[in-house]
Amino acid sequence: MFLTRSEYDRGVNTFSPEGRLFQVEYAIEAIKLGSTAIGICTSEGVVLAVEKRITSPLMEPTTIEKIVEVDKHIGCAVSGLMADSRTMIDRARIECQNHWFVYNENISVESCAQGVSNLAIQFGDSDDDGAAMSRPFGVAILFAGIDEKGPQLYHMDPSGNFVQFDAKAIGSGSEGAQQSLQEVYHRSMTLEEATTSALTILKQVMEEKLNASNVEVMTMTPKDLFHMFTKEQVEEALKKIDMPSEVQHPALSQIGERKKTENVK
Amino acid sequence: MSLLERPYYPDYSSAPIQHQFSPYADNGGSVVAIAGDDFVVIAADTRLSTGFSIYTREQKKLFPLSDGTILGCAGCWCDTLTLTRILKSRMQMYQHEHNKTMSTTACAQMLSTLLYYKRFFPYYISNVLVGFDTEGKGCVFSYDPIGHCEKTKYKAGGSAGALLQPLLDNQIAHTNLDKVPKEPLTVEKALALLKDVFISAAERDIYTGDNVLINIVTKDGIKEEHFDLRKD
Repeated sequence: MFLTRSEYDRGVNTFSPEGRLFQVEYAIEAIKLGSTAIGICTSEGVVLAVEKRITSPLMEPTTIEKIVEVDKHIGCAVSGLMADSRTMIDRARIECQNHWFVYNENISVESCAQGVSNLAIQFGDSDDDGAAMSRPFGVAILFAGIDEKGPQLYHMDPSGNFVQFDAKAIGSGSEGAQQSLQEVYHRSMTLEEATTSALTILKQVMEEKLNASNVEVMTMTPKDLFHMFTKEQVEEALKKIDMPSEVQHPALSQIGERKKTENVK
Repeated sequence: MSLLERPYYPDYSSAPIQHQFSPYADNGGSVVAIAGDDFVVIAADTRLSTGFSIYTREQKKLFPLSDGTILGCAGCWCDTLTLTRILKSRMQMYQHEHNKTMSTTACAQMLSTLLYYKRFFPYYISNVLVGFDTEGKGCVFSYDPIGHCEKTKYKAGGSAGALLQPLLDNQIAHTNLDKVPKEPLTVEKALALLKDVFISAAERDIYTGDNVLINIVTKDGIKEEHFDLRKD
């Protein structure tokens, strides 16, 4: 598989004869090594839930920050190379503040994503524009925000492409999680339901056992805007997913069953 | 006798002769804006002049920036031309970048930053911006040349600004009058007042006259009207 690519997968400024940019595709692959992050957009608001990989018991879990506040009305969950994400989050924050400075209004979630996208495609070695990076960023971002169109969720990958989603999962468990999201998502979901669903799905795809210190939860509502769950609130939310399966959404328990049988295999 | 006290004879002086370029022109003109709850009117005279001569008697000084936002400019005409072109292109860029028309409040803030970015070589213009605020009420934003922005209900700017502002204070805000009943402003009242103040301005200010162009902004859009002033 890699032999055929070897000629064209070195530089970011060369298309392969089939018209592909392998470095960008590899960057998208890099996301699949990152920790899982889930976002669900409801009419009441958006919820983001991410797993934190605690690789050592000596590690201080609170110093891993995968959900960040970009502005009062926009929050981001990131997966992939954390160091790269700092640069992108920094740009997102600048976009928000610059828009507020010039127009005295909150930037729309889409425009914020557009601003970060402009940074994401500035790789390569062009010297006139001043390339931001020599390679694509190895980060996928979920933008959760409230603007005049209401609660919104956007997903952006390393190619700089961004799309609006009702529910989206990124990171290592994204394939399974996305499948589960498709089954549980419905238009009339409440934010509480969405939070429970996000955590339930996260629990299923995580290798580690889910607890209050290896997960981050954030809600974005028109009333409170960016709200990061405290440890107590996370514990409270985790209690709900431990309830017997019939109390939960029927689809969720089915997924749980399916997952168990898969594990046996 | 010291060097400083010697009388100055340019032809016999060995000191270099200094020439000065004055980058600004005062082309006069007055702008008056009055806002009500569901409307806003803005008017400007159409005389463009310099000193004792008139360039034209029919210069429009109102610039519609969007369906609900209008800018009135008086002062240095060349600066007005440049500023309004920049504003027009910024409105267009905003439309493309954010997929929506810029609100009056956003436009007001943008104009303030645009003016301040030329803090040390300002656009020499009295700007008055009108439209509807976030609550949907008529509003007036007035500026100094370096970007100070004030949100008000009425404003007189330009060459007769200082002459007309106290008149509006008295007639609209009833400043220092306590026996006058406070009634909500109607379009008819605002228009009548507008005509009165412009006639008064044309009487005393030589830079204001010829004609008045009025734009009436309501939820239905912008309506244009005009009336004559004395032409001397």
